[in-house]
Amino acid sequence: MTEETIESQRAAGYNEKIDLVVNARHYVLNIGYGPGEVDPAHTLSFTLRDTLGLKGVKVSCDRGACGACTVLLDGKAVPSCMLLTIECGGKEITTIEGLRDEKTGSLDPVQQSFIDHGVFQCGFCTPGMIMSAKALLDENPSPTHEEIREALSGNFCRCISHYQAVEAVSALSSRGR
Amino acid sequence: MNTMAQTYRYIGKATPRRDGVRVVTGGALFVDDLDFDNLLYGKVLRSPHPHAIIKKIDSGRAQRLDGIKAVLTWKNIPDWKFGNPRIFRLLDRKVRYTGDAVALVAGESAEIADEASRLIEVDYEVLPAVFDDYEALRPGAPRLYDELPGNVLPPGDPFLGPTPLTQIVAGDVEKGLLEADFIVEGKCGYDNIPNPMPIESPRAVALWEEAGAGRDRVTVWVSNQAPYLMKLILSSIFGGRVEVRVIGGPCGGSFGSKIMSWRPICFAVALSKTTRRPVKVVYSKEEHLAAFVLRPASRLDIKVGMKRDGTVTAIAGDWLIGTGSHSQTTQAQVAVGCGEAMIAVRCKNWNVKPTIVCTNRAPSGIVRGFGGQELKCALFPILSRCMAELEIDPVDFIKKNFVKPGEGYLWRDGRWYDYRGIDFSQMMDKGAEVFGWKGKWKGWLKPTAVEGSKRTGVGVGVHGNADIGEDVSEAYVRLDGDGRALVYSCLAEHGTGQKNNAVKAAAEVLQIPLESVSITPGDTMITPFEFGPFGSRGTYAILTAVIKAAEEARKKLFELAAPLLGSDVSDLDTADGVIWVKANPEKRIRWQRVLFQRTILGHGRFEPDYSLSNCLMTFVEMEVDADTGKIGLLRVVNATDVGRIIDPQGLRGQLNGCLGTAGIDSAIFEETIVDPSTGRMLNANMIDYKWRTSCDLPPIENVVLETPFPTHRFHAAGVGEITTSAGPSAVLMAASNAVGVWLDSYPVTPDKVLKAVRNQELRIKKNEDISPL
Amino acid sequence: MKTFLHYDAHSIEDALSLLCRHRDRARLNAGGTDLLGLLKDMVLPRYPDLIVNIKTIPGLDYIEEDSERLRIGALTKLADLARSPSLSKSYSAISEAARAVAGPQIRNIATIGGNLCQDVRCWYYRYPAHIGGRMDCARKGQGPCFAVKGDNRYHAVIGAGKCFAVCPSDLAVVLAALDGCMTIVSRRGERRVAVGDFFGPLANALEADEMVKEIDVPRTSTSRIQTFLKFTLREPIDFAIVSVACAIELTEKVCSDARIIIGAVAPGPFRARQAEEVLIGREINEAAATQAAQAALEGAKPLAKNAYKIDIAKALVKRAVLKNNSPVV
Repeated sequence: MTEETIESQRAAGYNEKIDLVVNARHYVLNIGYGPGEVDPAHTLSFTLRDTLGLKGVKVSCDRGACGACTVLLDGKAVPSCMLLTIECGGKEITTIEGLRDEKTGSLDPVQQSFIDHGVFQCGFCTPGMIMSAKALLDENPSPTHEEIREALSGNFCRCISHYQAVEAVSALSSRGR
Repeated sequence: MNTMAQTYRYIGKATPRRDGVRVVTGGALFVDDLDFDNLLYGKVLRSPHPHAIIKKIDSGRAQRLDGIKAVLTWKNIPDWKFGNPRIFRLLDRKVRYTGDAVALVAGESAEIADEASRLIEVDYEVLPAVFDDYEALRPGAPRLYDELPGNVLPPGDPFLGPTPLTQIVAGDVEKGLLEADFIVEGKCGYDNIPNPMPIESPRAVALWEEAGAGRDRVTVWVSNQAPYLMKLILSSIFGGRVEVRVIGGPCGGSFGSKIMSWRPICFAVALSKTTRRPVKVVYSKEEHLAAFVLRPASRLDIKVGMKRDGTVTAIAGDWLIGTGSHSQTTQAQVAVGCGEAMIAVRCKNWNVKPTIVCTNRAPSGIVRGFGGQELKCALFPILSRCMAELEIDPVDFIKKNFVKPGEGYLWRDGRWYDYRGIDFSQMMDKGAEVFGWKGKWKGWLKPTAVEGSKRTGVGVGVHGNADIGEDVSEAYVRLDGDGRALVYSCLAEHGTGQKNNAVKAAAEVLQIPLESVSITPGDTMITPFEFGPFGSRGTYAILTAVIKAAEEARKKLFELAAPLLGSDVSDLDTADGVIWVKANPEKRIRWQRVLFQRTILGHGRFEPDYSLSNCLMTFVEMEVDADTGKIGLLRVVNATDVGRIIDPQGLRGQLNGCLGTAGIDSAIFEETIVDPSTGRMLNANMIDYKWRTSCDLPPIENVVLETPFPTHRFHAAGVGEITTSAGPSAVLMAASNAVGVWLDSYPVTPDKVLKAVRNQELRIKKNEDISPL
Repeated sequence: MKTFLHYDAHSIEDALSLLCRHRDRARLNAGGTDLLGLLKDMVLPRYPDLIVNIKTIPGLDYIEEDSERLRIGALTKLADLARSPSLSKSYSAISEAARAVAGPQIRNIATIGGNLCQDVRCWYYRYPAHIGGRMDCARKGQGPCFAVKGDNRYHAVIGAGKCFAVCPSDLAVVLAALDGCMTIVSRRGERRVAVGDFFGPLANALEADEMVKEIDVPRTSTSRIQTFLKFTLREPIDFAIVSVACAIELTEKVCSDARIIIGAVAPGPFRARQAEEVLIGREINEAAATQAAQAALEGAKPLAKNAYKIDIAKALVKRAVLKNNSPVV
């Protein structure tokens, strides 16, 4: 891509900047092809990991099938590997790094429950799975076992920690209390 | 889970993983999460042909691309070789499977490296290819290596010792067959080649530096469970002039496979050697599936003789192992597989001849089950035919024939071992009882229940491995003046909680709070030798080294304390950083005082012991829909005896892991699908490669007995590796019973079920037609 | 992913003028769950220079009902279809089909328009370029259909010629059963295409300068008994091996009209007219359903590895016809 074409595209109304709110922090990133800029072909998972340094966002299949890269986009669980960053302007994004209370350092109840129930083995899928669980509980504070399984069904866990995951989320369901 | 009376402070208790907070906050740094200054990104150009000679390769355009720092081809890459025999090159003039590496590129970004790889021009002379293991053995079949006539790999892995096990030969097969009440000749393959598919694909970062005095040093950040073994592998590849340091952090799953990462690691190393900058190579999931290592294919063609009472009188025939384009460990897998067959099936007369063959498919490597699962999954369906004819209940058969004290087996080093472990019969009974086997088993090829098109059936399998005490482990335990202990062990956490358990073991021996024990990173520059958590050796071998190191440190501590307390070493005891005289607890001294400006280092070493085996039995209940061919797991019961539970949560994780990682699901939907004419892997993605989701989980019950293993300090033994191995043949058995027809091809997909159902309907119809009624 | 230019369209006109100008050098992006996969694997014969984001076009995300028809905006997300109370009530098959797609994360971004326009899942067509290069096949304009001689377990058993890939859309099957129509717009104007006619043997009916604006379903569907069944190896993630959607009109217990559509057996949603004919004029019972199932794929010519799909289709047709057809008490 030459500078010229970029310039002419910009002149023609193409976006120059993108606004993102990530973990309650506001970022303005330049669209472009240099370091620290957002290439139009960058996925949200790439931007979060490589541009913003949020390495808790994991990438495994990179095709939207495994859920490792799940983040919250305006509160909904989405596969960040299948979204173009450039199309996320004005959105609020929460990653695993954004769950912990910044002031007190205390873990989100979902995070704590995952520790208490020994949900992870290798731990690579864990951030994505926690984000799916978080989205579920935010929307439905009293999910049934079925609803929990359904909500986690897009999260690959090769070690098979799903049994404990369902227990961990279930323990937070107001239905169980 | 059953638990015995607690006599330990930590052992057997649920202790949260110490990396827990890091894992749940995204703070666990896997290889791809590490920051490096000046990092380059490596990419691999891969072959479009399954078998071809590179006639011409032109990387000029790629090299000229802005941001490209190195392009390596077979012409300019270091001639590093590996494998058994050592004939497999990092890049070769010949490509041997579709997806084989052709060239490497290092660039300032992954995108640039990618783009450059597409600019490399290659002229191939396409050669005929062979994908089928039997075809590859035929005279005139395309030959992969000049060094391997007939595409057959030489038997035996020298690593296993001077007389490695290459076959099972014992007794007199002819005589054994004469003694049999029934003889079956059968073929069965476990050749669908499931992929362990850890979530994190193979990856590495390498930095090559001059170390002075004409020496070079390479540091490698790896994703696998055995950094020290990786160091040995790499040192053997690079030669003695290169100092190798391997650092292993959190590993996103391996299931054996990622210790075969020498190729991706060496790609990064070669590129770093050229550029003198850190280079990262991260395989895409497609590369992971299509161009990394797979489970070897297994095809058994044997004769089995059996008596009415379930005594196996003879097993003889051929075992063909397809290893794809190359392998490093297939001979070792064959050796262990042979030994595991002898552990599971008592038989006096054996003659099983393995042959390992190369084809133009992706290479095989290590996968959980290590040869034994491959052999067993093919063997049990054939044994089942015999049992059916003689109307033997498979649970009775397993109970009768699994190794017991006083018996023995040949093991991987070719030596006979008298088994001195525990008798697992009680555990087998308990498993059958919990599963309700007696009520559900209706006989061979008989469904447990039929309701409309839905038929249910049950099956059972068993597995045991004498690897719980295999190979060497070493550890240090350091006691510090501040009352803390540090465990030096070359472990990288890959999901089993092994690091936690090492800490726990040290804390138990030293009787100090868990919080007072730390463990080093898995860094070969820091720790002593550790073979790594292979098989199920974590508890028996690795922990024993840690325990011994802690005991030695404790002894040294007492030696220093004894004169201060005016007492003998043997009279002392310690807990929570205080040492006291047992007969007079008032006489006490704090560690701090003993260790003023001093540290103590205890060394522990575990020597191999092959006379013990673990055991796992898996019971499954399957539902088969005769109209659609769909099969589903209704219930799974695992039964095992671990001597003593170390970590209940970790154990549960390992046992539940029986489904995935090319385990039970390799009989249900996991398989590698290769195009028959182009050799391209068609399902090398996570949509078409099937894996179990949270919506498809059957109820699992784990029956865990704790019959003490006398020779371990905590009377414990590991079982993690084998949890995948007993299930696949149990699924075949259950599905066969449900349908009423033998199903002996993995995985039992709907097309196979429907075909079996049609055959059965035809048979019934035929029988009705000729019925005199 | 190789880079491209990117433009946020703010109106339909905006998007159409870019399409008109750039033709096949431009691609529209809605949810992106299909397109990004195609781009990452470099599957398309022509890698686009320009991606036009249509999510920024206001007013294309709606589910509206009037006395005539149900209208769904092309950008309506599958998750919204799955949980829409009005759909579950009157067009239950639509919500069931939406819920059956992929996994929850995908459904949160994938759109109905994208689901209908998605490219096929044939593993030869989709073979990733970075593992030895793209496979150029009939669908890409050159080469054979590799499935014919290859592993065709998931391919078409009926109605395929040059390309044996099947229509992967679950929504298409249901919408075809409910007589759904798509409104397609371009600068040349607007046209309506029945969902059942949208899929061709090598591509869908969309021209390079067109986009889907709306999907509508006649209100009359609400009086029909709607069923959707999807056969997969696993509950989530998988594309259908076979799916069946039925819409059956009963008049005094007798089937007065029926639409039976079979998915994943043909290049498009396959209308099993012979099965429909069996049912019309009869009471729905086991015998009628069995007969309809037998007739459903008559004339199918399976390839070497996919004959089992015919068995599954028959079983599903029978079950779909009988499901929800037990007399209301």
